[in-house]
Amino acid sequence: MNYIVKIKLILLGLACLIAIPASFLLYQHRHFKIPVVQGPGVTQVVQLSHYLPGLKGTRADTPVFILQGKEPGGKILIMANTHSNEPAGLLTAIIFIENAVVQQGTLYIIPVFNNSGSRTTKPGDGYPLYFDIKTPWGKRRFRMGNRNASPLDQWPDPDVYIHYPDRQLLSFIDARNTNRTWPGRPNGLLMEKVTFAAMELLRREKVDLAVDLHGAETMFPVTNCIVAPEKSIKLATLTSLTVKALEGFDNHVEPSPSRFRGLSHREIGDYSETLPFLLEAPIPFLDQPTGPKTVDLLLQGKDPFLLRLAKKKKLFVPYDESGWPMAKRVGQHCSVILELIRQYSRKNPDRAIKLTNVPRYKEVVAKGVGYFFLNPEKADKKKIVDI
Amino acid sequence: METQILIITLVTVLGYTIAKLKKASVEISMLTATLAGGVAGAIFKTPSFIEIPRHLIEGAFTYFDVILVFSTATIFMAILSESGGVAYLVRGTLKAFRRVRLLALFVLMVIILIPGALTGAGSVSLLVVGAPVALALQELGISKRRTAAILFIIAGLSAAAPPVNIWAMIVCAGTAIPYVGFELPLGIPVLLLGAFTMLTLGWKKEPSIAQKEEHELFSSIPDKMIWWRVVLPFFVFFGLIVASRLWPFSLPIFGLPLEFTIAALVAWVLSPIRINILQLSRRTMDRLLPLLATMVVVGMLQQIMTATGIRGLLAYAVISIPLVLLFISLAAVIPLSEGVLTYGGAAVFGIPLIWYLDSIGLHATVAMAGLSLLWPLGDGLPPTALIGRLSVMVTEYKENYWRFLKSTWLPWVVITIVGILMVVYSNKLEFLVKWSM
Repeated sequence: MNYIVKIKLILLGLACLIAIPASFLLYQHRHFKIPVVQGPGVTQVVQLSHYLPGLKGTRADTPVFILQGKEPGGKILIMANTHSNEPAGLLTAIIFIENAVVQQGTLYIIPVFNNSGSRTTKPGDGYPLYFDIKTPWGKRRFRMGNRNASPLDQWPDPDVYIHYPDRQLLSFIDARNTNRTWPGRPNGLLMEKVTFAAMELLRREKVDLAVDLHGAETMFPVTNCIVAPEKSIKLATLTSLTVKALEGFDNHVEPSPSRFRGLSHREIGDYSETLPFLLEAPIPFLDQPTGPKTVDLLLQGKDPFLLRLAKKKKLFVPYDESGWPMAKRVGQHCSVILELIRQYSRKNPDRAIKLTNVPRYKEVVAKGVGYFFLNPEKADKKKIVDI
Repeated sequence: METQILIITLVTVLGYTIAKLKKASVEISMLTATLAGGVAGAIFKTPSFIEIPRHLIEGAFTYFDVILVFSTATIFMAILSESGGVAYLVRGTLKAFRRVRLLALFVLMVIILIPGALTGAGSVSLLVVGAPVALALQELGISKRRTAAILFIIAGLSAAAPPVNIWAMIVCAGTAIPYVGFELPLGIPVLLLGAFTMLTLGWKKEPSIAQKEEHELFSSIPDKMIWWRVVLPFFVFFGLIVASRLWPFSLPIFGLPLEFTIAALVAWVLSPIRINILQLSRRTMDRLLPLLATMVVVGMLQQIMTATGIRGLLAYAVISIPLVLLFISLAAVIPLSEGVLTYGGAAVFGIPLIWYLDSIGLHATVAMAGLSLLWPLGDGLPPTALIGRLSVMVTEYKENYWRFLKSTWLPWVVITIVGILMVVYSNKLEFLVKWSM
């Protein structure tokens, strides 16, 4: 064996030494289960494939938690992890699932809307694989995902994504983005099937309100807001004004652009009777000019670069030394959802939704997100659903 | 935290410099820089030492799709070249257009622009039509150095040209601005700047070059080679792309790697001479290896830069400088970001820049179009120099890389000025967006 071959073999061995454990970590992340406890209000859990059988057996299929009150009334769909790198929505959804008690109407909650995206990472962006939330009984671990579905589940990408049915040209990567593939098609790409299944849920169940939970950079103008199309804007404005007046936090209203296709707040409104809303909570972790992408930045939202940019008035949200902690983001989501429900119920008493036991902004900020989580270890195993 | 990130940055740069001083290749030097940055980051637990292998492997896949496209497209062109099809194509083009030089240059420019405009990748232009166009340009009496310079600039412009501009699409996706209204703000400058490049670099004829190459070139065409054997593989490739645009909801998505593979198989079947496809593929991959290695290592570097905060520091530095300086610095920052991060530069700098420019009242779509003219220039800059290296490769220019790059100075400067002026005066050019819709 000559010298060059020996060197090559040594290098190959070294590469394997790095690749094998690293690949194992990524494999573990893809298969990591988050146990969710069915709270007192959960009456049924179905899979999204219930509304489109074509999803069955794929990584895109995902649980839908149904919380039905004794009295008939209105219906709301709450979707989280449409973008799995914006986890405030997932934590909010779990608070609802594990705590809400519904007296009237029905809640449909999809905690991991883009299931495939929640099981992948974003190459080049150095995200942590997991993050832990402190609870009174210990830590609860969650997967950090990506904005788009995994190429392992939907591949190859087109050279350009052509939106159905408007034919608007979008970036090729948006073919895997479940906030660009609405309203979807039953025989389309996997992510188009996901959004189509959700459209079917909305249409078949005659859902009144749909809330899509997101996070947006502090440097992004459309952040800390409720995005709503024409038909939902009145309700969004009432909600925004009320939470500002009663709970003291800003959450302005942004109109949904009619020329930008594929977004939930646009297509749900155009292709169903449902009133759609998209909630954006600030997430400094996703801003480009930040320090290392650590779990701490994800959870606390404190960053020295953003602080300086805030002083130069280059951010679109108020920002100080306290950052944007997760509790503040989750608290905002909780309050805005509850207020949307309250305002809608007030205007439509025959389609009212009444629920209790979900904390509002101040309570979440005061007690922390983890305070409202149930302990899966102590729960009845039959009540556990892995997401 | 700033001091910590500065230390990690210094260690990363030091890693690159030492490797370079030891005469290591660009890829090995970048890998050294990546490992140095990762280890320095681990001292501060950003990321922790145990996470470094995962970051390296994850980062290595950042440009996996691009690598597949490069590999399959180059094999496709290698088959076509081996079969004599490339030489045949050049002879045909020259026969048709040689007498009217201006027309010949313009037609060749359009030939390079089309694949890149359709796919958003200048590399695809070079890999598909680069070799025959390079030969045709040399047949027109243009030196290899100037030919490589023309290919580099025009292929770069092809990536910026509508309908598909990946930089603009990445920025649009990150800023929630619809990817509409780009046809004229991108199309007009691309055509004007392309024509300017062809004239400044291609108008001057050096007859001795043409006479020498012509004989060699035509003698390599097999007797059985006829037009449809050359045209059909291209027809299949472009047919698949056009069909996917015409019937996007009826056809499955093939993806560029499979489209190139199908075209390659067609070219192989139609070749008038027998080609050992496995041997040829192996030779081609050997040639491509340094470029592919660069893509893998750049992905790793990008991941480590983000995990350690270097990327954030750079983005912060750009956004926080005063406006006039910012406009001037675009000339360097945008191409350099492309040189280091390739398309990642659009996400790291493009998205916050457009948010900022939009917030001070500039027109985001025109500003994006302006920046899109500057990004491809960075594809000639190390460490990646993707389009630059491909231009040199398909032209078979063997001399100093920097001499080739130097010969692009005039179009480079003009493109930079046009791009920056489009950003500064984006409001006044808003009508281009309106006319596009």
